[in-house]
Amino acid sequence: MKKFFENKRNLAIVIIVVVLAAMGVIYALFASRATAGSKNVTLAVVNDQGARTEYSCKTDAEYLLDVMKELEKDGLTFEGEESAYGLMIDTVNGLRADYEANGAYWYFYVNGEACMNGVSTEPVKDGSAFEIVYTKAE
Amino acid sequence: MRRARISVYDIVLIGVMVAALESVKLALSFLPNVELVTLLIILFTLAFGKKTYYAVVSFVVLEGLLYGFGIWWVMYIYTWPLLVCFTRILRRQKDGMTFALLSGAFGLGYGALCSTPYLFLSGVHTAFAWWVAGIPFDIIHGVSNFVLMLILYKPLRKVLEYSWKKNG
Repeated sequence: MKKFFENKRNLAIVIIVVVLAAMGVIYALFASRATAGSKNVTLAVVNDQGARTEYSCKTDAEYLLDVMKELEKDGLTFEGEESAYGLMIDTVNGLRADYEANGAYWYFYVNGEACMNGVSTEPVKDGSAFEIVYTKAE
Repeated sequence: MRRARISVYDIVLIGVMVAALESVKLALSFLPNVELVTLLIILFTLAFGKKTYYAVVSFVVLEGLLYGFGIWWVMYIYTWPLLVCFTRILRRQKDGMTFALLSGAFGLGYGALCSTPYLFLSGVHTAFAWWVAGIPFDIIHGVSNFVLMLILYKPLRKVLEYSWKKNG
């Protein structure tokens, strides 16, 4: 037995097999918890009449756009155009904000403050409360 | 450290290595985590030594230019040169089994290696969760790396040594 482990190659094989088994056990123990969403996020859409539609989810998404995509299964719909700054949303839940026609646009807030990034790059944190508000330029 | 001199021949050699790496990566990209990049980097390092570092760095830059400089690219910056480094440590070994074990261990540990950026960006919990979620892929990666090296080590090493002796 001692001789077996003196051979470095045998020792390496044993170590790799042990690591492989350990990875299997770790996966079995922690995978379900790891794959379930770890961030609680809410998102509200406020339309041109001031009506509010609320959504919430548990997610691992890194960016707002990914959260919005996940919320599509709850009925959220949105459309937009790809631009140099990422996706520019112009239609939410079927309502189109046409800036050129009447100065309307969708304004994005996080925790009550204006988002500093586009939807593709706005980071998502645990407890983030997003709002997408139909807004008209004065 | 002695400064390695780069000749025109080396530049061509590095170019060929990068082309081979990029080709095998594309060719097997439809199979998740089954790849020949590890195999080629190990064999190139055994045949061409430190010059492989230049090829690996060029390959990483090319990958960034082709697919964008995302977080995965940060992982590429250190994982592949690290593999060259590990191979250099074992370069005196001759048998395929040693390098099959290295290749397998590298595949198995690839997820753990790649989770490092998340450790700094989002903390231990995220890095651990990210690694755990990828464990099945790491196992496929490790096993396929091991098997591919075991099968291809001898014929490919022979070809590389032959061409190195002929042209080197």
